[in-house]
Amino acid sequence: MRSTARGIPVAGLFLAVTAAGAVAAEKQPWRRAPAEAHAKTNPYDAQPDAVRAGRKLFARHCASCHGDQGRGGGEAPHVDADLVRDATPGDLFWFLTNGNLRHGMPSWSRLPDQRRWQLVAFLKTLDTSPSPHATSAGAAGESAPD
Amino acid sequence: MKLKLKFTFIFKFAQAAAAAFLVWAIPATARAQDRPYFVTYSHDLEEPGALEVAVSPVLASQRGAGDFLAGWTELEYGAKGWWTSALYLSGQSTRHDSTLFTGVRWENRFRPLMHEHRVNPVLYVELERINGADKIMRGIVGHDGEADHAEPNAITRGEMKKELETKLILSSNVRGWNLSENLIAEKNFAEKEWEFGFAIGLSRPLALAARPDECTLCPENFSAGLELYGGLGTHEAFGLRDTSHYLGLLLGWDLPSGMGLKVSPAFGLNDRSHRFVLRWGMSYEFAGFGRGLRRAFGGRH
Repeated sequence: MRSTARGIPVAGLFLAVTAAGAVAAEKQPWRRAPAEAHAKTNPYDAQPDAVRAGRKLFARHCASCHGDQGRGGGEAPHVDADLVRDATPGDLFWFLTNGNLRHGMPSWSRLPDQRRWQLVAFLKTLDTSPSPHATSAGAAGESAPD
Repeated sequence: MKLKLKFTFIFKFAQAAAAAFLVWAIPATARAQDRPYFVTYSHDLEEPGALEVAVSPVLASQRGAGDFLAGWTELEYGAKGWWTSALYLSGQSTRHDSTLFTGVRWENRFRPLMHEHRVNPVLYVELERINGADKIMRGIVGHDGEADHAEPNAITRGEMKKELETKLILSSNVRGWNLSENLIAEKNFAEKEWEFGFAIGLSRPLALAARPDECTLCPENFSAGLELYGGLGTHEAFGLRDTSHYLGLLLGWDLPSGMGLKVSPAFGLNDRSHRFVLRWGMSYEFAGFGRGLRRAFGGRH
């Protein structure tokens, strides 16, 4: 009986740590990116043409859900510029490649690597402030459209 | 006369209401950058909440009977990030014969693994209710051959088939190339044997990086490839003999308007195959379809 009582706080602590980890992972889905992906650098870093190409690709493939310039108003939340700024280019590339299928963000592996890097170059220039239409302060693809 | 006028009014009102609904409820289009395949599936699924409408006609030469034009209309919906569901309606028109509706297919594709891997599996399950006059050749299985399409529609339309088609889709992306392999197993519920088939597709965009400016005819909007498909016999007589095989060239074009076009001339590789099959297709994606439906039925936006 005594050992059961002692076990309750331990189990509670375990659950709390697990839940906190899950929330953090949802907030920054690229936290699951392996170290190798995290460390990758963008071959198009700071190239104005790549940023423009990325903006075009964002308008084509992402804006219908994330809104123009990532400001929200679509199927998915606005792109959180602070979270994107804190992520490494490798993290963002990994996230675009894998998506977050359980939570509605599709995998963009159908786009060649070069175009995903161009998207990353554009995302790094984003400066979104939450618009009145934004449904959540989450990162790109965090919420389910279902 | 009065009844006719009333019917015309109701019909026109319904047309106007449908058009208004579409404009209001489905505001956004997007381009999904589809592969140029017709028969082969890759691991790409429809984006969640998006509806793709596509038509794909097939024109085939036929020995011993009239050439035919068959085709399907596809409504494909991204139910989840890992699940795509599609409805197909098919028909055909045979020269010196007739034109008819040939059946319905309900297809589902599931991605069991949530991340990208070197080889990405997708499980495919399709229920078909078609008649024997179906000629769209979306998958060649068993001992399918040109001779099956030579019988008059008046005879084949009476043969109703309820079938289960399953596929194991394996797909890889390497340096801009996509290589996809499909193994097909099909079962007619009224028959004992399983029929097998395969499809292999290889494709690549003509340019890997995007240009800074919007363009229509630039290489990044085009993709090209090859598709090889055919039957593998049945579980009792498995193999490449006594069945048909095709090799098709593929060209796809994603227009800035959001429309996708593709074409594939394919050539029969043995005597049991049609000598020539020309496929072409047109698709359009409504990215906000799910949101529009929720809005229409009072759900959250």
